[in-house]
Amino acid sequence: MARKGIVFRIITYAAAFLLAVPLLVILVWSFANNWPWPLVFPKEFGLRGWEYFFSPTSNSISILLYSILLSLTVTLITLLVTIPASRALALYEFKGKKLVEILILAPLIVSPVAVAMGIHQLFIKLRLANTFFGVVLVHLIPCIPYSVRILKNIFESVGDKFQMQGKVLGASPIQNFIYVNLPIISPGILSAASLVFTVSFSQYFLTFLIGGGRIITYPMIMFPFVQSGDRMLASVYSIVFILASLICLRSMDRLLKKYYKRGDYFYL
Amino acid sequence: MIRRIAASVMILILTMGIVGCQKQDGNQSSGQELLEMDWESILEEAKGTTVTFYGYGGDEKTNNWIDTYVAKELKEKYDITLKRVGMNIDDILNNLLNEKNMNVAKGNMDIVWINGENFFTAKENDLLFGPFVDKLPNFKKYVDTASEEVQFDFGYPVEGYEAPFGKAQFVMIYDSSKVDKVPRDHKELLEFVKANPGKFTYPAPPDFTGSAFVRNIICDIVGYEQFMNMKADEEVVRKAIQPAIDYFISLKPYLWNEGKTYPAESGLLDNMFADGEVYMTMSYNPNEASGKINTGEYPATTRTFVFDKGTIGNTHFLAIPFNAPNKAAALVAINFILSPEAQASKYVPEVWGDLPVVDYDKLNDEERSLFDSVELGEATIPQNILLEHRIPEMPADLVPIIEKIWMENVPGESD
Repeated sequence: MARKGIVFRIITYAAAFLLAVPLLVILVWSFANNWPWPLVFPKEFGLRGWEYFFSPTSNSISILLYSILLSLTVTLITLLVTIPASRALALYEFKGKKLVEILILAPLIVSPVAVAMGIHQLFIKLRLANTFFGVVLVHLIPCIPYSVRILKNIFESVGDKFQMQGKVLGASPIQNFIYVNLPIISPGILSAASLVFTVSFSQYFLTFLIGGGRIITYPMIMFPFVQSGDRMLASVYSIVFILASLICLRSMDRLLKKYYKRGDYFYL
Repeated sequence: MIRRIAASVMILILTMGIVGCQKQDGNQSSGQELLEMDWESILEEAKGTTVTFYGYGGDEKTNNWIDTYVAKELKEKYDITLKRVGMNIDDILNNLLNEKNMNVAKGNMDIVWINGENFFTAKENDLLFGPFVDKLPNFKKYVDTASEEVQFDFGYPVEGYEAPFGKAQFVMIYDSSKVDKVPRDHKELLEFVKANPGKFTYPAPPDFTGSAFVRNIICDIVGYEQFMNMKADEEVVRKAIQPAIDYFISLKPYLWNEGKTYPAESGLLDNMFADGEVYMTMSYNPNEASGKINTGEYPATTRTFVFDKGTIGNTHFLAIPFNAPNKAAALVAINFILSPEAQASKYVPEVWGDLPVVDYDKLNDEERSLFDSVELGEATIPQNILLEHRIPEMPADLVPIIEKIWMENVPGESD
């Protein structure tokens, strides 16, 4: 037993180490002017990167907040659309079910980038290009399949027995949904929401094309620095990117847990 | 409480977003009307409007110069709000092409930072508004309008569809603590590389800088004159540059990683130089080395050099898309950028270090002093020496052919 515990521990620490070291490296890089081999630790430090990030002219913070807002909107709409859809796919039998499923999951196989030019032309026609809503819509394409994948599995494992029970006890469909369904699937909603948020938050090309530069999200100001090889600025922007995602995911988690005040889920 | 604050912040951002999304719906004159107006009325029309500037956003200094200096001056002098959007030129052109196909009369972009093959693509596809440069008072007053570098962009006639923004010249960057004798031409470069195996490489074309290095070596070996009127035919080009291709192959065994692979982007090579992994890097901005010494990215012993036969120089430009929503303000902004103050301000290495496009002979004493007072960094070659060693860019349509020939013949395992 003890041996098994040690092995387990070593693996856990190794995994944590492998995750943490690259993060530490970019943290150091965000303050390092340069860091040539064979120095183990950089000698010259500077605040150029953080100064640029926080300078009001770079607009980074308002773009970050705007970007978070956009991704939260995408997350919300995706959930609203996919909860009923996944429930139907999990619990009902109907004609063409397989086809619907394949169509929903198609963006996982065919990258939306491949059809983006066509979408852009269509959006120009519909006057959706260069608008907040247009970008939200185009983000839904890569987000929906992930959410459906997760929620469908949850609905399948939960089944509809609890709902029937509620019905037997006289709950209206709305009561049933709010008091029976939602609490049971809330962990699933959380994982779907986290994934959708991350997918939307890191979209680059689709936002670029459909937003036309009018809608500016965080990856759009971060990517040029990564590409141009300015390691200090790229590190600064990456750290903020990671922190922002973590904080958002964590708050979603808190919010949901607080609402349902429970931590044990029997089916996960 | 926290939740309430969070909610208010969200609402604030949302409204900001909505306001930001709203299109400017002033009564802007159409392109043709604008070209017939006098300058005073253009200024009047531009007043109080917003103008957007689209271009490469990966250089913190350039971004800063536009966001602070240009934006502030435009606001104070002309009451114009400037909004910069960092976007790669490929994405800009894709966007414009789509809008052209769909006949979108009112786009997003007022000013686009462009040159070379991208200008060629944009102009061939009628994506640009113009000719407009003759409308700009500062263009006539300060720019040598007859010079090759203003009339041609990579050998392609400009015809007034873009206004010069700045000049660049290719320079080699080296660490003087590691390199004793600077190579003066391609032969000496080969000797240097042989003496320091694994300490030199160049970015693989079609990287902008790597491609310029390859063209520069070609010019050093076979001269640039023959390319100026060369037909864009692969066989013709191949024959002309064969000695250079042989030279690149002879360099290979002594390059970093034995020339099997090359850095994909100049940023990578710059980082390798900063890390001391190679002894030389290169840049299309003669002031970049000084700038990076200042930020501490490069060692203080970094210097630059040019080949005796010269290095390639080009001009970068500003254009106005065919469907720019606010052409009047675009004209005013470009005109301002052509002013001696603006040109001198971006010439300062700590600011940006971009070479000016105004003609020194056309300036009065006061304006000249703006440029004379600029202190160039230690690693920067003075402008007169640069200009003595400046050769023109090749025609834009030859560039992709040369890149292709290089790609087919040079990288990979040697036989």
